[in-house]
Amino acid sequence: MKSEVMVGNKAVAYAVKLARANLIAAYPITPQTTIVQYLSEFVAEGELAAEFVNVEGEITAQLACLAGSIAGARAFTATSGPGLLYMHEALHGTARYRAPIVMAVANRGVRTMGPDHSDMMAQRDTGWIQLYCENNQEVLDTGVMAYRIAEDAGVRLPVSFGLDGYVLSYTAEPVEVPGQEEVDEFLPPYKTEYPVLPETFDEDIERYKRHWAKGKSIDEPFTPLAADESFSHLTMVNWGGPHDQQWRWRSHQEAMTRAKQVIKEVDEEYGRRFGRSYGGLVDEYRCEDADAALVAMGTVASTARAAVDRLRRDGKRVGLVKLRSFRPFPREEFRRIGADVDALCVLDRSISLGDEGGIVYNSVRSALYGLDERPTVMGVHLGMAGKEVRVRDIERIGERALAERGGAEPPVRWV
Amino acid sequence: MSGVTRKKMSIRDIPREEAMWPGNPACQGCAGSLAGRLVFKALGRNSVRVEVASCAPGFMNIRVPSFFSPAFEGAAAFLTGLARGYKIIGREDIVVAGLIGDGGTVDIGFQGLSAAAERNENVFFFTYDNEAYMNTGGQRSGATPYLARTATTPVSRVSRGKAEEKKNMPMILALHRVPYVATASVAYPEDLVEKVTHGKGIRGFRYMQINAPCPTGWGVEPKDSIKVARLSVESGIWPLYEIEEGHFRLTYKPRELKPVTDALKLQGRFRHLSDDELGVIQERTLGEWERLVGLDGKELY
Amino acid sequence: MIEIRFHGRGGQGAVTGVRVLASAMHLGGRYSQAIPQYGTERRGAPVVAFCRVDDTRIRERDLVHEPDIIVVLDPQLSRSVDVARGLKDGGLALVNHPGSYRDTGLSGNFKVATVDATKIALETLGRPITNTAILGAFARATSIVEMRHLEEALRGELPARIVESNIAAMRKAYEGVSEAVDVSKLPKRVVAVKESQEPLISYSRDVSDWRVHRPVVDRGACVGCQRCWIYCPETAISVVEGGVEVNYAYCKGCGICAEECLVGAIKMELEEE
Repeated sequence: MKSEVMVGNKAVAYAVKLARANLIAAYPITPQTTIVQYLSEFVAEGELAAEFVNVEGEITAQLACLAGSIAGARAFTATSGPGLLYMHEALHGTARYRAPIVMAVANRGVRTMGPDHSDMMAQRDTGWIQLYCENNQEVLDTGVMAYRIAEDAGVRLPVSFGLDGYVLSYTAEPVEVPGQEEVDEFLPPYKTEYPVLPETFDEDIERYKRHWAKGKSIDEPFTPLAADESFSHLTMVNWGGPHDQQWRWRSHQEAMTRAKQVIKEVDEEYGRRFGRSYGGLVDEYRCEDADAALVAMGTVASTARAAVDRLRRDGKRVGLVKLRSFRPFPREEFRRIGADVDALCVLDRSISLGDEGGIVYNSVRSALYGLDERPTVMGVHLGMAGKEVRVRDIERIGERALAERGGAEPPVRWV
Repeated sequence: MSGVTRKKMSIRDIPREEAMWPGNPACQGCAGSLAGRLVFKALGRNSVRVEVASCAPGFMNIRVPSFFSPAFEGAAAFLTGLARGYKIIGREDIVVAGLIGDGGTVDIGFQGLSAAAERNENVFFFTYDNEAYMNTGGQRSGATPYLARTATTPVSRVSRGKAEEKKNMPMILALHRVPYVATASVAYPEDLVEKVTHGKGIRGFRYMQINAPCPTGWGVEPKDSIKVARLSVESGIWPLYEIEEGHFRLTYKPRELKPVTDALKLQGRFRHLSDDELGVIQERTLGEWERLVGLDGKELY
Repeated sequence: MIEIRFHGRGGQGAVTGVRVLASAMHLGGRYSQAIPQYGTERRGAPVVAFCRVDDTRIRERDLVHEPDIIVVLDPQLSRSVDVARGLKDGGLALVNHPGSYRDTGLSGNFKVATVDATKIALETLGRPITNTAILGAFARATSIVEMRHLEEALRGELPARIVESNIAAMRKAYEGVSEAVDVSKLPKRVVAVKESQEPLISYSRDVSDWRVHRPVVDRGACVGCQRCWIYCPETAISVVEGGVEVNYAYCKGCGICAEECLVGAIKMELEEE
């Protein structure tokens, strides 16, 4: 495998090329812009056979990918910050249609250019899978894995993966690029069992009729629509009314649950084939005998590893839980981890205004609620609007976590 | 294509086969439903349809895969994706068509539509134009004609209905230098079907705006739906033409136009017009008609 | 709490009717709720609207499934819509009908009162919009709302130029409503099964109950020009050997075919009772 020093945006472009995405529609926005440029170069040079749509805005980018996916293409788009917000309604559309497209997001704020997770967090409830990467190698690897996850017959959900703007998207580091043949073995071409074509129309209706959910009560056993059968144009028209529509939400939730297992399995397989894996939903670093564990996503997790090493060197038993999959959220993993440490300190690069603490902080606390013995959970806001997150900042947070474990619930802090 | 005269169609030339089941929830006398029926009759069942928020999802009985674009503004975007996607899987034979209301065309849909035209996407965009946001109760759109009463351009002491002229979408799109633009009317089904059939054989971006009276919103008896459409054409309010690669051709050219009042007096949305106002509309309509007559057979660019 | 359900057709003013009623009852010092039907309200299609009234704030936000009172704005609706569904025992059905309680065809453990609201509306308003007239009948038949409050509510709801005529319609209906008669002894009449037997999955719905008139084709006069076929908004007419045929399950009675026929071979006739 060749190794090249490249910026995160290029790693994304390589992933898309290796995955043989054949429909690309993306609109430039800092700091994602060069993803689109690299891809258009690949296409122009004949290195990537794809329809490249020079869209006039992010909504069109998202919808063109959704529609292309319905027609049978493997679609890709990329955006950042305001661009992601602009396509919010379309994101709901892609998710409702269960279209297995992949989107890279160079995480950045809405009104600011520097990196934070507020853009993807604002899409938390759309039903997309959300993975966060901590270095450019992971960016490339996750980009390749993403289609395997999205297109899995039991999942059929769109996948977004985030790379912190500037810190990854424009920072260069060595990345090993797998060979095309090996990737082809890992990721076969996109195929759907139920293509939506004029000639399948009459059949589609019959299939739909068979699965029409009629007035299920709260006690009746749930029979989910098979993943592919959810994926048809019929999902978008108001067929069957609210009963059916509510059923689809439920079916979607089931798919998210299945995705947890699929994300783990794909990661393991990738590890076997390419020698690199990322822990599935979470990666635990030096947590085996930890008294306290930090929780972080994206590049903060990367910096946190260095902080953990320093703390350990000083005899302080702090570990790191790098949260890779924010959606689906790994509740089970946190319950297990939470039972073994005295304190968890969640580093949030986001905020939900009006409620205490960051979004990941609240998810972690909610996951731990059912434990008989709960660790102290602390929350820290940091790195918002691209504010630099230094190793020593995280060291101090780790020390604080040790000091405050077992005590009264600490307030949420800002660094 | 300029200079080639195509054979005129009669009702008997119109294909008997329907691409629509009967029994949809559209209003009695809905010309939008008729527009959908005629368009897909001409396109045939090897096509797909995009719709957005409008009355069109009510024409759910059209027998081709129909996709509801999850964003109101996204008709052209969705069409783009379908066209590209079907191309990728080797199915460019599938006609990718939109059946979109005027709001999703000239207002919220404008940006995406202009871009798709500029990119010359291989799609056929049909606007059934009932001249307001009828599905939500008849609010004005950019396609609402001058002085029409709508839910948001009411008639009062200080307001006489819509103060602005109707946005001229066919000309705007023709100037994007697309292969084919046409206007049509449900009252002239032979002309409509012939144009759709002709456009079907052209590659690239095609647009057709179909005048489709809405009895509920225009204040017209359902039975008069077609009559009003016909009078709109015969009085020059809605001229029938096509523009192929910039070459302009009127497809209906009476020697003398009927007075606009013939069409307007049947419509409750114009009931409030004074003689002066009617005169202004008459004058503008005539002026616009004469300009088009002068343009007939010539190049737009 | 009292729960009321209105039945009408799109365009007949059921939604306005319940709102005026709710306003009037509130003017009378009570809490009220007016709920329009969810979904698009197409002109001609059967619609429902709901109203609740109580002495304390109403918390229920679901639809009314067991009304105490039903109001039917269209005399022909009960042929194809089960208007009395869920009507509580001892409840009241107020029906716009030229005939008596027997003619409505309703039977069950409730009472029926009728008023010819269509005639009253045509006389006072010049149009067959019956929602205001029937409110006058409602006031008399139920005694749960006062005429003066209804009038005040109407003044707040309608444009000035038509308020007085609508109030006149209301008053006429107040005078003209029949007694409410118990119909538990009357024979049950089954609500007419829809003409179409095809499986319904929203693509093709039987719309025959939208009609007030139906097109009748005179085969002899038909010259086979096919105009009616091409102008039907949705394929309810087919071309057959020797002429055309109307599929009445899917004909909404819009009248375009009759209007466009150049030889007068199609006439619109009132639907049979």
